[in-house]
Amino acid sequence: MKNWHWIALGTLLIVSLILEFTYLADYASHWWNHVPAFYALWGGLGCAVLIFVSKGLGKILILSDEDYYDA
Amino acid sequence: MMLELLTIPAVILILGAFLLPLMPERMRSGMFILFPIIALWLLWNLPEGNLLQVSFASYELELLAVDGLSRIFGIIFALITIIGGVYAYHIKDLGQQSSALAYAGGALGVTFAGDFFTLFIFWEIMAAASSYLIWARKTEESAKAGMRYLLVHIFGGGLLFTGILLHLSSGGSLYIDSIEPAYTAANIFMLLGVALNTAVPPLHAWLADAYPKATITGAVFMCALTTKSAVYVMIRLFPGWEILIWVGVIMAIYGTIYALLANDIREILAYSIISQIGYMVTAIGIGSELALNGATAHAFNHIIYKSLLFMAAGAVIHATGTSKLSELGGFAKKMPLVIGLYMVGALSISGMPLLNGFVSKTMISGALGDAHLEWPILLLLIATIGTFLHTGLKLPYYTWFTEKKSKFEVSAIPINMKVAMGIGAFFCILFGVAPQLLYSQLPYPTDFQPFSIYNFVEMIQILVLAFVGFWFLKKHLNISSTISLDTDWFYRRPAGVVRTVFVETPNNLFGFAERITLSLAEKLSGTSKNPLRLLLPAFVTEGREIKSDGFTASMSAALAFILFGFLVAILVALI
Repeated sequence: MKNWHWIALGTLLIVSLILEFTYLADYASHWWNHVPAFYALWGGLGCAVLIFVSKGLGKILILSDEDYYDA
Repeated sequence: MMLELLTIPAVILILGAFLLPLMPERMRSGMFILFPIIALWLLWNLPEGNLLQVSFASYELELLAVDGLSRIFGIIFALITIIGGVYAYHIKDLGQQSSALAYAGGALGVTFAGDFFTLFIFWEIMAAASSYLIWARKTEESAKAGMRYLLVHIFGGGLLFTGILLHLSSGGSLYIDSIEPAYTAANIFMLLGVALNTAVPPLHAWLADAYPKATITGAVFMCALTTKSAVYVMIRLFPGWEILIWVGVIMAIYGTIYALLANDIREILAYSIISQIGYMVTAIGIGSELALNGATAHAFNHIIYKSLLFMAAGAVIHATGTSKLSELGGFAKKMPLVIGLYMVGALSISGMPLLNGFVSKTMISGALGDAHLEWPILLLLIATIGTFLHTGLKLPYYTWFTEKKSKFEVSAIPINMKVAMGIGAFFCILFGVAPQLLYSQLPYPTDFQPFSIYNFVEMIQILVLAFVGFWFLKKHLNISSTISLDTDWFYRRPAGVVRTVFVETPNNLFGFAERITLSLAEKLSGTSKNPLRLLLPAFVTEGREIKSDGFTASMSAALAFILFGFLVAILVALI
């Protein structure tokens, strides 16, 4: 990842936040619309939860050696 | 009558499957593409209504029932068969070509079937024809996986047929129509049969088991046809069955978690199919017009981007000979075009605005919002994040970027594969920027508008933060050489025990009995060769040569007569 990649992503995020706080300021079709930057939080949180939950499940239950069914 | 049958798009493709072997080899690839083009042209021009009836026993079968829903599914099945034909243009394997055509014919037949018998017959044609696309890989692994795939689908067909027979015997109609949500035995069997082909857990394991082991070109057809024709049947039969809302959500999350763990690139894509179908199943469960439109549009878009992704994964396997993330890496500079086209599909499936996944995902979440189902919306967003993680980031990052993890050569891929991927990517972008082209074909009229600031803000924030999360947590993702245990464990693991109990034990028992019988017979015959050895052992101990045939013929006859006399006397005495 080069610096300009991060700058581009950051700009996109800032644009989305500006839009959220200007155009969508009084928009509320779901309860979570009152939480500022909810989708960013949900995205980051969801990503971390998925990675760790799948890692945990993989370790205790799912993942096995490639020759598991041949043995 | 025969000519009328030729107006059925499915018949064109199945006829094509039989005509291909009669053509010279160099024409076959071209003709393969021609048949679905004819079918597409036909079904495009068919008027709506029940167009063709055939009497069968005391039933009147509806072979060609056309309406908005069946037409749009027919269009995409024919279109993807054309694209798949371009992708497989270099293949000279007649078996694969014929079975792929028959398979697509089965899917079109299911789509335009107006009654349950016709549906069931085409349903089984699909199962049988697609199995060969796995076997054609001709490895031991694919031979076994193909057999498992076929057995599971025969079981699923059995469930469906049981449901149909129960439905008919309880006075239900032979003609396909939506079924009221009631949990009778007939409905449950039919739902299970359809759910198996829709890959609803725990009936889903065949998909992730078989698709990664199919041929490179076969997997492209498979990822498009079986599950989506089942989604079509589900839209027809079970709209508004509320249980499907949560079944779909569970599917979406389940597929995502397994895709995040998978090491084989086509296994990642296969589990991602289950996750994506979760969206459609949820929408079918809502059952509103917007939701059914959303399910249809998502199935349509899904077929395009998922086959694009499978084509790109196939290109990697074709070029390197391996499909495992634990072995790939470090050749991004050698296939920039494939990476670019793959990323179009990957961003589409992730719901990036201006690509086709976005225009149908927003429709489904709009329908969920209208029905005030808020937790399903949030959970499907988790699945979207996961989709971006495994298909949009993990797969391309560990396949092409990172350091090289094993030794392999990167060979060139045929130009027709690139052209087919280009067509797929073109449609991803086309329906992404001009969704009205798709919306106008949906079964219910709609004025849905996907491009709102709200949807844009939502997707950008989700995707940017998911990327940041991936970048900092990627070392926790599995890319080791492992396999994932799934519900196929229940029929694969005990297979050894079942074989021991029901095959090897009886086999050994029969073998043992056979050996005993043979050795007894051998001993008996050895004795009867020379009865004197038993009757006069003294001859042997004295070392004299014994010849059983040393007597003259008259002497033998006399001796035999005396022996016979003794036997008769003994018998008389005994009685």
